[in-house]
Amino acid sequence: MRLRSFVPLMVIVQVILSVSIVFGFAFLNPGIDADPEGALFLSTGAPTLALIAIGLGIAPGQVAQQKAQGILDYQRALPVPRTATLAAEATVWVGIALPGVAAGLWAATLRFDLELQIHPLLAPALVLVALTCLAVGYGIAYTVPPMVVQVVTNLLLFLALLFSPVNFPADRLPGWLATAHTFLPFAYMAQVIRESLAPPPEGISVLPFAVLSAWCLLGLTLAHWVMNRRG
Amino acid sequence: MLHLSEVSKEYRRGVRANDGVSLNVAPGEVFGLLGHNGAGKTTLINQVVGLLSPTTGTITLDGVDLVANPAHARRQCALMPQAHAPLDGLSPRQAVQMLGRIRGASRRRAIECADALLAALDITAWADTTGERLSGGVRRLTAYAMAAVEPGRVVMLDEPTNDVDPIRRRLLWQQVRTLAAEGRAVVLVTHNVAEAERSVDRLAVLDHGRVVAKGTPAELRAGTAGELRLELLVATGTPLETPIPTRAPTRRTGRRHVLSIDAATAPQALEWAQRLRADGHIEEFSLTPTSLEDVYVDLVGPGATSADVTTAAPGESGTLVS
Repeated sequence: MRLRSFVPLMVIVQVILSVSIVFGFAFLNPGIDADPEGALFLSTGAPTLALIAIGLGIAPGQVAQQKAQGILDYQRALPVPRTATLAAEATVWVGIALPGVAAGLWAATLRFDLELQIHPLLAPALVLVALTCLAVGYGIAYTVPPMVVQVVTNLLLFLALLFSPVNFPADRLPGWLATAHTFLPFAYMAQVIRESLAPPPEGISVLPFAVLSAWCLLGLTLAHWVMNRRG
Repeated sequence: MLHLSEVSKEYRRGVRANDGVSLNVAPGEVFGLLGHNGAGKTTLINQVVGLLSPTTGTITLDGVDLVANPAHARRQCALMPQAHAPLDGLSPRQAVQMLGRIRGASRRRAIECADALLAALDITAWADTTGERLSGGVRRLTAYAMAAVEPGRVVMLDEPTNDVDPIRRRLLWQQVRTLAAEGRAVVLVTHNVAEAERSVDRLAVLDHGRVVAKGTPAELRAGTAGELRLELLVATGTPLETPIPTRAPTRRTGRRHVLSIDAATAPQALEWAQRLRADGHIEEFSLTPTSLEDVYVDLVGPGATSADVTTAAPGESGTLVS
């Protein structure tokens, strides 16, 4: 309810963000039209980044603001289970993110003339990616002082946008960074969404789902622990 | 009903916010927690609702341990925090109804109670204005309504009258009395001593986390029976020479002089003050029984006058003789 007046604005920003990633990165990489793999990465990376921007950027920013204004303590003093608060907020954020995801995909089909096959796993993949981003984002927002949250999340967004195998294959990265991404969630987020839009012949991999679930659980545990902690 | 026993709270950096606080609040009672900023009042009520946990000591409500059952504490204790309630994008009506629903009222009851409360506080005119456009006072009254719409057994109000205009303050106090009359325990945190004196049944004065006095306002004033206070507002900045016997050194705050005198000295003091006014040395004066505020200032020691004790405006409390 509190965010009601901002929802239309945030949806628009999300749509612009996804569409700009598709078109903007295509300018950066003029050879992309001759590179179907690159086009696929970019097309499916855009919705991934839309979800990352919400979960690791906007949502933690809002939490930090709430914390600074004492709203978080107000919520904590209400007779509402912590999990219900988290679930309600996650639902709102996923709702805000979805139009951006759809717009990104639509822009990609226009720009690259791609044939995307929507696999039944797309919906769970999107939800898992969104939840993982939100869980990690909330975990950060709850544990880090409000002033620092913006800095941390901006760094993460930067890392996700430019230094993660989300919009491009991992083999373009230096070895150590590629290795780091076998532990970080970003590459797996891109992978589950990419594979459920363009299923590889050998089938959709299970590993990314497992790794993302672990990250999701870690973030949620952290957020839940902080929510329940009494100073 | 609400029982705090030897509650101490020490923060990690070694700051002792509460030190062996024991209190009992009965149903139907408005209990005041007085103390200047940083005396540990807010820390204490945050421990009751489970936002903080005491380092040592117990907090029980009707025998149920609230420290071990924070969920029970939150169901039974409604808190109006000192910070503004979250009202962005919400109108007072929506916010109060929503809190009623969250606290377990039926939809219909929430609507009825919200309307009744907003009307009782005379803020119906802003009932459908969103929070960003509300004045501080209306936000504060809305926050009160959010706590009072479907309260549990205990209602805790942290500085409820800040920013509220004098007329609506009275309405607010009537509502607080109603809450108590319905059998709830009301804990009122304030540093406005004059207001507390008129509104609470019993009170505790906190200083540096310790209870330094406890009782009814009359009990706390009892030690000063036969004592009067003469307050003078001098016309110039020059301190006045006092020709009458006083019980304590004159307290001066700017142009305001406060003298503590024996009741027997009253005629003499009155004559002196009238003469000063006739000669234009003072602008106004008042002779009143010693107020709780005087007791309070004595209790929390010298320097407390500068420590953000909200004082009554001239003429606001007691009997004005001038």
